[in-house]
Amino acid sequence: MSDNKKELFEYVDSNNNDQQIEISKEDFEIVNKGARIHDVKFKSKPTTFLKDAFRRFRKNKSSVAGGIILGILLLGAIILPVALPSDIDSPHLDEQFLEPKLFPSGTGFRDGTKKYTDFKIAYDTVNETPGGFSKEAVLDDTLELMETEINTVNDYAYGGYVNFYNSVSTTSTTSMKSYPIEFNFENDYSLHVEFGKEPTSTTTMLGGYSVTFSYLDGEEQKDFLIRDFSNDYSDLDVNLTDLAIAAGLEEKAYSNCSVSFNLDYESGIVSQLLVKECTVESSNSEEQATLDEVFFDDANKMVRTARSTNGVDNIGYWTSTGNKGVYKSTLVRCNFVYDTYVAKFGHVNQIISQNTLNNYIQNGWMSYDVNVGVESFKILDENKCPITKVYSQTYDSRLGTVSLNCEVLKYRYLGYDEMPIYLLGTDKYGKDLLHSIFAGLRTSLLLGFGTAAVCITFGIIWGSISGYFGGNIDIVMERFTDILSGIPWIVIMTLCILHLGNNFGTFILALCLTGWIGVSSLTRSQFYRFKGREYVLAARTLGASDFRLIFKHILPNSIGTLVTSCVLIIPSVIFNEATISYLNLGLQGLPSLGVTLSENQQFINSYPYLIIWPSVIVALMMISFNLFGNGLRDAFNPSLKGSD
Amino acid sequence: MKSYFLKRVVLIFFTAFIILSLTFILMKMLPDTPPAGFPAQVQAYYFDQVSLGYVYDMTSLRPDLGDYLYSYTDALNVVHYFYKVPIMQQYWNFLVNVLTRWDWGTSTSISVNSSAIAIIGERLPVTMELNVISIVIAVPLGFLFGIIAALKKNKLTDHVISTLVMIMISIPSFIVITFLLLIFAYSTGWLPSQRPSSTATSGEIAKAFIIPVCALSFGTIASFTRYTRAELCEIMSSDFLLLARTKGLTRTQCVIRHALRNSMVPIVPMIIGQFIGILSGSMILENLYGIPGIGRLFTDALTAKDYNVLMVDMAIFTLIGLAANLLVDLSYGIVDPRIRMGAKK
Repeated sequence: MSDNKKELFEYVDSNNNDQQIEISKEDFEIVNKGARIHDVKFKSKPTTFLKDAFRRFRKNKSSVAGGIILGILLLGAIILPVALPSDIDSPHLDEQFLEPKLFPSGTGFRDGTKKYTDFKIAYDTVNETPGGFSKEAVLDDTLELMETEINTVNDYAYGGYVNFYNSVSTTSTTSMKSYPIEFNFENDYSLHVEFGKEPTSTTTMLGGYSVTFSYLDGEEQKDFLIRDFSNDYSDLDVNLTDLAIAAGLEEKAYSNCSVSFNLDYESGIVSQLLVKECTVESSNSEEQATLDEVFFDDANKMVRTARSTNGVDNIGYWTSTGNKGVYKSTLVRCNFVYDTYVAKFGHVNQIISQNTLNNYIQNGWMSYDVNVGVESFKILDENKCPITKVYSQTYDSRLGTVSLNCEVLKYRYLGYDEMPIYLLGTDKYGKDLLHSIFAGLRTSLLLGFGTAAVCITFGIIWGSISGYFGGNIDIVMERFTDILSGIPWIVIMTLCILHLGNNFGTFILALCLTGWIGVSSLTRSQFYRFKGREYVLAARTLGASDFRLIFKHILPNSIGTLVTSCVLIIPSVIFNEATISYLNLGLQGLPSLGVTLSENQQFINSYPYLIIWPSVIVALMMISFNLFGNGLRDAFNPSLKGSD
Repeated sequence: MKSYFLKRVVLIFFTAFIILSLTFILMKMLPDTPPAGFPAQVQAYYFDQVSLGYVYDMTSLRPDLGDYLYSYTDALNVVHYFYKVPIMQQYWNFLVNVLTRWDWGTSTSISVNSSAIAIIGERLPVTMELNVISIVIAVPLGFLFGIIAALKKNKLTDHVISTLVMIMISIPSFIVITFLLLIFAYSTGWLPSQRPSSTATSGEIAKAFIIPVCALSFGTIASFTRYTRAELCEIMSSDFLLLARTKGLTRTQCVIRHALRNSMVPIVPMIIGQFIGILSGSMILENLYGIPGIGRLFTDALTAKDYNVLMVDMAIFTLIGLAANLLVDLSYGIVDPRIRMGAKK
């Protein structure tokens, strides 16, 4: 090289000493000459904003879990209301309060049974079943019995004493008198009475009493004493005929005869007489039935039958002028497991009309000849025929049709081929709870998405105008939203529903009236953030209109943040809808989760599953929506993370 | 500073005025429901309405005023017909009545002929009591959990607390109370399932506070925890705390002297803000637990169609909300100089 000469440079080093360096052009070398240049385009695909956000979202495990649960619930809300065969539009009063069932009965878990514990249910000793429950539906080996003593009348109790007593203020003898009977000297009558030996409480005492027998002699009512006034509570066993002869009665038949107990009074204390049983036996067996009816050996039954007669003073076939009750009667109480499905769908007695009967005959399930009657009943198809037994046939002369009183398999009678299974049970209208919940969820979601759509649209427009233009326009618009947001949503919703009725449209309107404010203020803040940026200025200098700046340049930058934040509108809509239902202003005409919740609230003690499941679903929905929404927002806008 | 206060107060009054006016007009536009009660009470109600200027007393039929609300024959055998006054005129009379006699309306069915404001006065303390108790319980607990979570950031404790917070914040209070009732009232029988009458012993009454207060507090505790954690985490990673550590303070000293104090600043106004949230949450709880507060009154008035009381109840909800908003703004103004100076945040 011709100019290959060293040149001398002078410089000052860090210690302020003058230095000299001799350097030539060759001493410099291009660094990457021949080396690989790294400043090239990547062959791998560049990641987009969405992909990046999704990557961040996936890192957040709880949000993913929330998203999955949400997905399942959404899928359920879409598929289940369509797929489930049960009908929830009309009440099915034959299918009320069925317990949740998934497994066969007897497995103990979700088997459609209800457990009755703590011996609360009275046992019907006559029919050998818990009182008022179907015997068929009580699970074998689950019945536990316990005898208890009660001092009140109960349909299923037996025995005890008739407690016949004065009130404290009584000042004359009171009496308890049997229903009139016939007394005939042709027969032999013996009276047996058993008394209680102890008073019912320390504040009462057993009073003096007499037992008399009264009879109608001609026109005159006469009587003689069986036991004179005394405090003798030993059993009374007398032959009435002998006594009658001793009393000087003529040996003939007397009508209008009765036995009566006369209780003396004692001032200042309740005196009482306890009668365990009072029976009369006749040597004439034909009379015995009548006598058994009038006299009693079951105190509870005697007092209980009194309740059905209208006369205030009647107790059974006895009249009395004092007070009477039952004391120490035995009531068997029981614990048992009850299969609600068998109870509702098993064998029950039912009146079948002729139309239904003809239907069954036409289907070839059974044969029956109305003219022959009950004997002609024959089951042809064991697996289909609803009727299992025919008790009697009634002819309605007015309509000219017959009806059968028979035992049916209820589920077949209701038109099911098999006993239906309700996974979450049924409510007070007999509606499938699972179906109700998910149909309600669908409505809630529709409401949520509808509201979110309207809110986003309107909020974005309002917020962009307010945020973009700023100044006085912004102030006026802000004041407007200030005022609107000052009204509690519950007030707005109540007013809307009172004026416009509780239908879907009103709900959307009412929810939107407050819902859009959040979106608009978010949009406004986003606009404040972006409108001063250089790229906006550049677009403006190039002559872009306001409209173009707002919708083409600024809004797309903030749309991700906006939309993800709006996911959180949906759970708040579900919450609002449920809350307003509790004020009896719930959505009508469509299945609603809130209405299901608030209506089932009254069964929280008796049928807890009715409130547990809707609550669980709402809670799950809210949690998963919040998890998902927060995760989404964090993913789209990492700077916001943890700052809420 | 003064002008900021003044501006906020004037704005709140203006907002309250507009909202109350709208509520009044909208409520009066609803079809009129005659008061429930004895004929004498009904008559007394309408006389009162006439004197308040909401109803005309006419001695002849006036079809141009619509259907008459009520009619009676006086001692002189003259039939009087009562007609609705046009709504805007009613509104004007309402303003006059409120400003001159503090008369907000008369109850038509909840407690016939008694003043609506008196009914609110009876019910408000019950609600306030419940809310104050739950705030008093929730705030320290929320603060505590928030601090624990922030100090153990990204450790197991933090994750557990954060998950619980997420769950509790999402579940509405009426679901929480349902589960509390199921577990503690119906299954175990430890706590009463309804608020006992006022004649019950003080022990029973105290017991009856547990479930509603818990149901109300859970959400508040959760949101306080979340807020405190976020705030404290931000402060813990700030430069001035690093400086405090480098100058030789221990971690505990740092947290107590610097971090906590600073994180308090934005949290204190939040306590007031939380009050509104609790108030609207307590509405359903009062219904479910039989608490005779203003939330219960809302439902009662709604079912009984006692619109006069409902209007005042709505007004109370609105006013409490606005007042809380105002307090939040003002307290922010006091603690945050940026707002005090009138700068946009």
